[in-house]
Amino acid sequence: MNASVSADQGERRAWGWVHHLRDGGTTPWAAWLEPGTPVAPVVPGAQQLELLRRLNLTGPVSPVLADRVLGASAVGRGRPDLQLVGAAQLTRFGPRPADPSEVSANELLRVATHVLTEDLVAAGVPRRRRTPPARPWRTRYQLLGDPELVGPILAGLVARGRPPGGTGARVVVLGADLGRMLANAWTVRCFDLGARSWRAWTRRLKEQDRLPGRADVALVARQWARKVGPSNVHVVLDPAALPDLLGVRHPVELPAAPAAEVPDLGRRIARVLGLHVAGDERSALLTRRLRPWLADAPGLPLGLPAEQLDWAGKHAERIGRQIRDAGYAVHGEPDALLPGDRAMVEVPSDMATLHLALRTMLAGTPRTTSEEAE
Amino acid sequence: MSKRVLLHVGTPKTGTSYLQDVLFRNRRTLAAAGILYPADRFDGQFLAALDLMELPWGGLEEEAIGAWDRLASQVRAWDGTAIISHEILATASRGEVARALSSIGHPEVEVHVVLSVRDLVRQIPAEWQENVKHRAELSYGRFLKLIQKPSRKGRIANWFWGVQEIPDILNRWCHDLPPDRVHLVTVPPPGGPSNLLWERFSQAFGLTGLELDLEGERANPSLGVPETALVRRINRRANHAVDPARYRPLVRELLAHQTLSRRSESPRLTLPPDAYPWTQELTGAWIDEIKARGYDVIGDLGDLVGPPPKLPYADADHPDESEVADAAVDAIKALLLENARLLETEQRLSRELAQAHHDRHRLRGGVVRRLERSRTGSRLLAGYRRARARSSRSA
Repeated sequence: MNASVSADQGERRAWGWVHHLRDGGTTPWAAWLEPGTPVAPVVPGAQQLELLRRLNLTGPVSPVLADRVLGASAVGRGRPDLQLVGAAQLTRFGPRPADPSEVSANELLRVATHVLTEDLVAAGVPRRRRTPPARPWRTRYQLLGDPELVGPILAGLVARGRPPGGTGARVVVLGADLGRMLANAWTVRCFDLGARSWRAWTRRLKEQDRLPGRADVALVARQWARKVGPSNVHVVLDPAALPDLLGVRHPVELPAAPAAEVPDLGRRIARVLGLHVAGDERSALLTRRLRPWLADAPGLPLGLPAEQLDWAGKHAERIGRQIRDAGYAVHGEPDALLPGDRAMVEVPSDMATLHLALRTMLAGTPRTTSEEAE
Repeated sequence: MSKRVLLHVGTPKTGTSYLQDVLFRNRRTLAAAGILYPADRFDGQFLAALDLMELPWGGLEEEAIGAWDRLASQVRAWDGTAIISHEILATASRGEVARALSSIGHPEVEVHVVLSVRDLVRQIPAEWQENVKHRAELSYGRFLKLIQKPSRKGRIANWFWGVQEIPDILNRWCHDLPPDRVHLVTVPPPGGPSNLLWERFSQAFGLTGLELDLEGERANPSLGVPETALVRRINRRANHAVDPARYRPLVRELLAHQTLSRRSESPRLTLPPDAYPWTQELTGAWIDEIKARGYDVIGDLGDLVGPPPKLPYADADHPDESEVADAAVDAIKALLLENARLLETEQRLSRELAQAHHDRHRLRGGVVRRLERSRTGSRLLAGYRRARARSSRSA
């Protein structure tokens, strides 16, 4: 048998596998034997085909989604679309054909990111719900600090007619375990312009020996103390103190930290989204559409890599000393700032992020976000 | 609809910046001759390539949105020859190539693919140097090992072969084009006539006989061995401390392009002698393949063999330390001068700001004095002061 006949048979076998996967099949390429007829000029790449197989293993895939996966580009820099081993024409040039089951999770994520980014753009920016009028007798406050902690609490207060600001507002700076606040600062970046990896980002902070502004509770408190005086600044390290300070009857709980894979998937999408939409729309899609879309993903939250714990601990102690010495009202123990020992993920794995991407692709974009529904 | 599209898809370091600069600056002359070079800024086609391949690139993404579709629609609307040229198109995947070709009217339109190529003997050191000028910290030896591994895993090897492996680039771009519509322009060996490459480009793009301004401004100057070693050391020491947005103007532009590239007396970066047999074997296989495919070659496939090893070999991983120190002094001088310029700018702006404050105070004083002279003015002023006090309290 000559090489071109063999390559032709291999290509027909590849098309057979394409049909099998489009029909929801999960057989790995190595075990596939049936031929099929071509439906496009070139066989999709090993990355696209394997991603579809993994999707089929995760749940039922619509024909539309299957075709979108097969036609998707692998975004950003990485391996080119790989041909299937045993199906590609024998050539001495180009990357070696691959067994799709050996393609890395990171490569599959490049294709998944393309599909999810398209979904996100198609879903559009959610409509803002109407803000209720402010209650005239509300407690006047300014709630400041880590945006991941403060943002959801503020949103709840505004929805109840208790917006921040007003004459004589009490300044409340909310802090938590510094490990969590650093993870939150990275999360905010991931859903902004995209960020480098968690490990690289924390390593750089340590090398530069600096904290992101809003993770440094002492810095935020100092900036506001200059405006309103130290005696009007409350630093809250125990959320139980929040209801009294904010003038609400119900307990105020800190929002749950997202699964470690959520910001990791967010940063991958953020990096590519800039090639589809600009400026404000990009920002709104990431924070108001994508973030709520991924919010319920199960999984352990992100924690500081072990090699950064001592460094963060020293900063936590420094912040604790500074807020105690500055004369603010401190609610809770400064030890609450020390990086905690809660169960967490030090580095999100590509495989875990891929699983999140697969589940998200299958779920499709929710028609409404909680913001629209309320 | 275009009658003909010439698609120049690479490779990097083959005079592409100069070619694109000439095409951009002469686009009106070209249009008058029936040739469209669609770009409203010098990097317009780069943005289109980023858009086509969904490549994030140092914050340029926003400017790239929809750039390929706009380019393709201009090409489709043109009733003549259109030229598209960017070297990063060499890395496009088969799917992206199919999208690109279909968007410009293939197969109804006559599409030609042009690939300018240079010997690996010069391309390999040039690619490593380009990596170093983009913050890379890896040694030359490590780079050579990575690109020689058959698995080609990792960002460095993927990119290198994506833009340099001529038969594979042609497989991806030209698999369904007749060979006479595929044109290889070879870069002449060093030391030949300076305009020879341009003549070959002119022939490939049908520019011969046109009165074009060829005084190009854009070039990608190269560095010598001690200079490249110095930039790599700077990367290793400063990468974690300098943001990419600051690195580009300070290290790549100020130090590498404007300062260190002027040191033309230092030893040039070349291929290590022990890598020659490998590149020669590879090149031989490429030349055989290109001949067998019957493409149109403008120049000579023998150019791909490259110049012989230059001895003594100057190793960028073990450079002459006195030469590196000398380059470092030039770099420090350039940074001092830049700092002095910035300090002068800062002082000038401070003076202008102080003057503006002074003028504003004088003006306000004049208005207040004038108002205080009349009863109505005094009342107005008092009302304003009460309102201002209220607003400060509530803030």
